[in-house]
Amino acid sequence: MSHADPAARSDPASRHSIHAQVALGYEPPTDRGDGRIWIPMGGSHRVTGLSETQKASLLSAVLDLKPEPGAKLVLLGLEVGGLDSAERATLRARVAFLAAGGGLLSNLNAWENIVLPLGFHTPERLRGVVGEVNALLKGFGTDPHGLLAKLPERMSAYEKKLAGYVRILLENPELVLVEDFRGGLDAAERGGTAGFFPAYQARCPGGTFVQLEGSPES
Amino acid sequence: MIGVYREFEGCMRLMGHVLRRLRVLALPPVTEALTRQIYFTGASATAGMVLRGAFLGTLIIAYVIDVLEANSALAVKILLWVVLREIGPLMAAVLVIQRSGTAIATELALMQISGEVASLRRMRIDPRDYLVVPRVVGVALSTAGLTFYVQVIAVGGGMLLSALTIDASLGQLADDFFVLASPVDFAYSMIKSLLFGVAIAVICCYHGLHPPGVSINAVPKAAINAVTQSTLLVMLLNVVFAYLVFGQAFFGLVTAKV
Repeated sequence: MSHADPAARSDPASRHSIHAQVALGYEPPTDRGDGRIWIPMGGSHRVTGLSETQKASLLSAVLDLKPEPGAKLVLLGLEVGGLDSAERATLRARVAFLAAGGGLLSNLNAWENIVLPLGFHTPERLRGVVGEVNALLKGFGTDPHGLLAKLPERMSAYEKKLAGYVRILLENPELVLVEDFRGGLDAAERGGTAGFFPAYQARCPGGTFVQLEGSPES
Repeated sequence: MIGVYREFEGCMRLMGHVLRRLRVLALPPVTEALTRQIYFTGASATAGMVLRGAFLGTLIIAYVIDVLEANSALAVKILLWVVLREIGPLMAAVLVIQRSGTAIATELALMQISGEVASLRRMRIDPRDYLVVPRVVGVALSTAGLTFYVQVIAVGGGMLLSALTIDASLGQLADDFFVLASPVDFAYSMIKSLLFGVAIAVICCYHGLHPPGVSINAVPKAAINAVTQSTLLVMLLNVVFAYLVFGQAFFGLVTAKV
């Protein structure tokens, strides 16, 4: 689902009120052609038809908070171009990204991968997180003891995605970007991903869940 | 020439980052990475050093006493000069480059190419905090620890084996050692070892994080660059350090004019 919003470009006075309802808005540089994305706050959304270049450009803009020159980025109601570095850091902490392969580090087991960001950003939460992780994994129908000790090389594509997703959920982000949500999974595993958005909604009511899917030819 | 300057500047920046961000060592994942690095570079490397160190000490004593027909005091003096000041730190540094330097450069290059470094950034983790700081500190401490280990094994083992194999009494060698050993030699070798460790780790981390390409072929190239440059820098530091502290380098062949 890709939205274009002409009002946001034509009427500066209305921008603020419009932005307040925007979870993710991106206008690439004009020479890139189409690829505008305008996603409202809350719910689950799918962005399809992005080429690899468009996807890379969008992800780079959102995750580094540095849109290309000529591009415009609105994130969780804020236009990124006008923010200072401290505001950008605070904003970035409200956004999480799940890469297609889970984004795990190959020399850490699933448990170490899951708690790695917490260990950096909120180490005080590490003490009580074991139960939280176990409950989340059980909620997805996965045995925590079977998964947590595994290194990524011994994990299935679904398990990698699941470990990466649990890692994201622990951070309670307001916006979740998921790349190639069901890519690389068999039919049974695809069924398992059905619980991903409800689990997010239960933890973060009002949060926005965005699936980024590439175009079939890319 | 520009490439050399860029690499030097990059290593200096990395070093600056490590010094500024030492506090991240208190974070649980970084503490764990530091412990792993010390175990891998320091603890697991000690086994191979026992025989090498003891034979080195024996060789020096045997050579001086038997071949040069010197007394035990001179043999111990040369042992102290050579092992404590020069060979100990160098032997430890070479071992660290061989084992840990190649491992660090290869691992980081693979992480860079496979996108794991980018994954860290996406988790809002500075890769230098998680990957470089614990490695530099861990390798520096381990190099100093290994140097001490080599010194103890080479001097102690050398004296023990010499007493068994050549005409030298262990008591006499030990007496000479305690008379001639100076804390300055020990402090000198420890500081030098720490510097060697820092230099090796920074260079290997730099090349690991900046592989010369994005294909798998870049991994061995990064390792070769890391090993070559860290070996050269260790040799250079050794000469500069000896010249600055003792006014001589290359075992006295180059002497400062006073």
